[in-house]
Amino acid sequence: MSGHNPPLSLALTFARRELRGGLKGFRVFLACLTLGVAAIAAVGSVSSALVEGLSQEGQTILGGDVDFRLVHREAGEEELQFISQGADVSQSAEMRAMAASPKTDQRTLVELKAVDALYPLYGVIALSPAMDFAAALERREGVWGTAVEPALIDRLGVDVGDMLKVGDIDVQIRSIIEREPDRVAGGFALGPRLFLSDDAMVETGLIRLGSLVNYHYRVRLPEDRRLNADVAAWVEGVRTQFPDAGWRIQDRSDSAPGVRRFVERVALFLTLVGLTALVVGGVGVGNAVNSYLDTKREVIATFKCIGAPGGFIFNVYLIQVMALALVGVAMGLVLGGITPFLVQWAIEDMLPIPARFALYPAPLVLAAGYGVLAALAFAIWPLARAREISATGLFRDLVAPTRALPRVGYIVAMVVALLALAGLAIGLADRADFAFWFIVGALLSFVILRFTATGLMALARRAPRFKSPELRLALSNLHRPGAATASVVLSLGLGLTLLVTISLIDGNLSQQINGELPDRAPSFFFVDIGPDQVEGFEAIVNGTEGVRALNRVPMLRGRVMSVSGVAAKDITPSPDVAWMLQGDRGITYAAELPAGSDLVQGEWWDATTDGGSLISLTEEMAQGFDINLGDEITVNVLGRNITAIVANTRNVDWGNVGINFIFVFSPAALQGAPHTNLATLVMDETGELDLQRAVSKAYPNITIVRVKEALEAVNKLLEDFAMAVRATSVVTLASGIIVLAGAMAAGHRRRVYDAVILKVLGATRRKILKAYIWEYALLGLGTALVAALAGTISAWLVITQVMEAPWSFLPVTLGVTVVAATLVTVSLGLIGTWNALSAKAAPVLRAQ
Amino acid sequence: MPDPIIRLDDLKLTLPSAAGEVNILRGLSLTVEEGEAVGLVGPSGSGKSTLLMVLAGLEQPTSGGVHVAGQDMGTMNEDGLALFRRDHVGIVFQSFHLVPTMTALENVAVPMELAGRADAFQRAEEELKMVGLSHRLTHYPGQLSGGEQQRVALARAVAGDPQILLADEPTGNLDGTTGDQIIELMFDLHDKRGTTLVLITHDTHLAEACDRVVRLKDGLIDSIEPGRRASKRTAAQ
Repeated sequence: MSGHNPPLSLALTFARRELRGGLKGFRVFLACLTLGVAAIAAVGSVSSALVEGLSQEGQTILGGDVDFRLVHREAGEEELQFISQGADVSQSAEMRAMAASPKTDQRTLVELKAVDALYPLYGVIALSPAMDFAAALERREGVWGTAVEPALIDRLGVDVGDMLKVGDIDVQIRSIIEREPDRVAGGFALGPRLFLSDDAMVETGLIRLGSLVNYHYRVRLPEDRRLNADVAAWVEGVRTQFPDAGWRIQDRSDSAPGVRRFVERVALFLTLVGLTALVVGGVGVGNAVNSYLDTKREVIATFKCIGAPGGFIFNVYLIQVMALALVGVAMGLVLGGITPFLVQWAIEDMLPIPARFALYPAPLVLAAGYGVLAALAFAIWPLARAREISATGLFRDLVAPTRALPRVGYIVAMVVALLALAGLAIGLADRADFAFWFIVGALLSFVILRFTATGLMALARRAPRFKSPELRLALSNLHRPGAATASVVLSLGLGLTLLVTISLIDGNLSQQINGELPDRAPSFFFVDIGPDQVEGFEAIVNGTEGVRALNRVPMLRGRVMSVSGVAAKDITPSPDVAWMLQGDRGITYAAELPAGSDLVQGEWWDATTDGGSLISLTEEMAQGFDINLGDEITVNVLGRNITAIVANTRNVDWGNVGINFIFVFSPAALQGAPHTNLATLVMDETGELDLQRAVSKAYPNITIVRVKEALEAVNKLLEDFAMAVRATSVVTLASGIIVLAGAMAAGHRRRVYDAVILKVLGATRRKILKAYIWEYALLGLGTALVAALAGTISAWLVITQVMEAPWSFLPVTLGVTVVAATLVTVSLGLIGTWNALSAKAAPVLRAQ
Repeated sequence: MPDPIIRLDDLKLTLPSAAGEVNILRGLSLTVEEGEAVGLVGPSGSGKSTLLMVLAGLEQPTSGGVHVAGQDMGTMNEDGLALFRRDHVGIVFQSFHLVPTMTALENVAVPMELAGRADAFQRAEEELKMVGLSHRLTHYPGQLSGGEQQRVALARAVAGDPQILLADEPTGNLDGTTGDQIIELMFDLHDKRGTTLVLITHDTHLAEACDRVVRLKDGLIDSIEPGRRASKRTAAQ
């Protein structure tokens, strides 16, 4: 007897023959894979387009090949001379200031940017009406010009040609900014942009000693020195020449790191959502394969009777399934691959950052990998069970059960495929910890939902005998063999859980920003109060009705240069605190422990006796940098390195939105340094606008941030973001609905048969319909309740443990989700059932 | 004297059911000589189909010995039994059980393809010619009549030159005339190739056309009688 197993080529031959039967029953299979792969491919392609745009347009975004930024002080002559050798240098000064309209008597915070004649070194600034940029800013008949963003026009109710008061001068709006090439690199803006020439800036009187001004020196290197390696080498030379300059240096290779990180983080989250959609789709894949193999039981049994080994049978059907999976993946790749071009066509002009729309192979290959692994992982179980189909079913006219577990080897293969899927997602994420917890959360939700399905079926089995026959029928349909309960709960449940989680997180954040934060936050922040303006400022404030509390502290900016003798660039802190080394930070000095702080380690200094340079930092920072009491920290302030000894650490209640700093120095360290003051004011809302007007008129250089407006800006940003994120979670929901529809369709033949038998026995269509409504309503409600619970727990964990914010239970959000989910399940179920109710009895009975 | 091709010793088979264990075969012993045609008859539930499945290696007995074609079936695993069927056993079913997505030619070739024979399709064509279906090679089962499908099934069962042919109510789904044609074909192949035939049937007249008729009742052999074929042979000798 020949003992060999038939070769794979024969399995391929058999698979091809089997596929002649058509792809009926694989529509859901293909739809699930296509949707999941398309979502991942689309996210990857669009984010690649954005990141590539950031990379290719680096010099335009940055405004130069290299950007040197100094805070509080201008570059010294030697520094300027060095970086100007053989290169063009464009200088600008940027700060927040107030702009007022004499016409409407309105005022607003603006992002003021004073530029020289060389600006912009790269890119073009687009104006409306179109004009030469220099002409927009030049002095004409004694009046300086300005170009402003449309938001300023809206806020102040002014137009082109109107005058504005900025600091000590009046300027005329000559043009509206349509596109500022290096806007993105500037980061988050609290107000609209307002351009002035550098000479006009001097006349405003806004730049005073200690003013929070960012001085930028953007460099355009000679063409033969613009390769990234050359730029990096040149920058290194500057760092070596001026090690203590305290400037932040960025080059074109990473022109907007904050934006890039944001794009990458959002892409990571959206990819994980897409992966969740694929996993949900995997349930549909498993169902479709199960249904297909059910129709092949006879054929499989026949193959076994005529001598096909079990492994060969597994291979035959695995080849078919994976061939179809490749079709689904290919369709998904096509959809995902063209998405960047659709985005380009639809919203390219609206994008705040440049994008290079093209075909990007890497994300497509990754999406394909995910798709193939998902298909494999979810197909193995039904395929392995098909291998165990008993041939005895061909002889006995009864259902030959194949409830046996698949063989261990197949279970291992399935687990390996799932691990590979998870491993790929985690391994390629720039925040592996985030990806890991996301996947753990999805897996836990999956397991909980699976148990929910089992629990629902058990409950239905043990339910008391209700009087209503329709309800009894519905309950028995939930737990009978072949019921779609597990499929429905899994497919709908995971997408719902994700939607509930995101909605609750968004709801809690909105509650914070719109509800609790305004109660705790001050009414105003006043920035850049000069030392000689303190008395007059406090007089205005105290003379205003409704003022409740004024808090004022000195304010400077500093950059961490070294910790315990180790240079900042050589330190690798924990990721949570790494941002501390990126750029300048606000610092202050204080004789007393600041309000809202609690000492953790060490003692607060006695300002009257401690004459040394001491520093207090937050406990979180100390742990992140592994700093102990007695260690030294060097901070560069206004070009001078100040080294202080860590005297204590504090916990800060950031939630009180008052004035708090991570670094607080002892008075001896910084009292002599030129600085301005920062103040917060709590007052009744009715008097806010009057106070703002009075302070702004008296001291045009003081920047006034009305917290209410700032919160509105943040809220708008969060709302837009939450809507986008919620929209992507709809992808997961859509995947779930496809699977749900598939599960309903798979049971359709059974439904028809059941309906016919019930009709024969005397049930009206109305009664049968009522039974189905009960069934789907119970399914939908059960699923929604569990999803609501799982989503609430997930959201609670994120809000309280990750964001460390207070939690609010939002019953309306949950209620809406539960009701909507139940309605969707009932509607989909009824769509499928309607046809079953209309089936004529005779043909069905004859066919049995 | 050569060993019997089938030897069953005190065969017992018990199956679990919702109502408890059911004794299907209760200590059955039987031998079948090579080349013999045996008809299995008995009422529903007597164990005929189960006995056939044991012979085909599709059911494992609870106890007792099963030796077929010189092999102890009790020592083989599932894949071993599949390979055994491929090489030694042909099965004809009441419902034909052709693969609907394969042509008549492909259906007949399947066992030989599984055995790795290079001449699988050539042999399949010859077998289909032998059963009078040379004009239906490329037709799918859905395009064939019941009788034609059963002829394809018969060709598939014998194409690999099995030592044993098991037939489970081969004419159960056919009309009288067609059924007679199938039976005639089957016996013709049996005679020409010397294949051992075990035939399950409700038709006593058909069973009596065999060399022996084994009557089963309640999982045991009730009686064994000579059939018309044995009488004819004896008469010829």
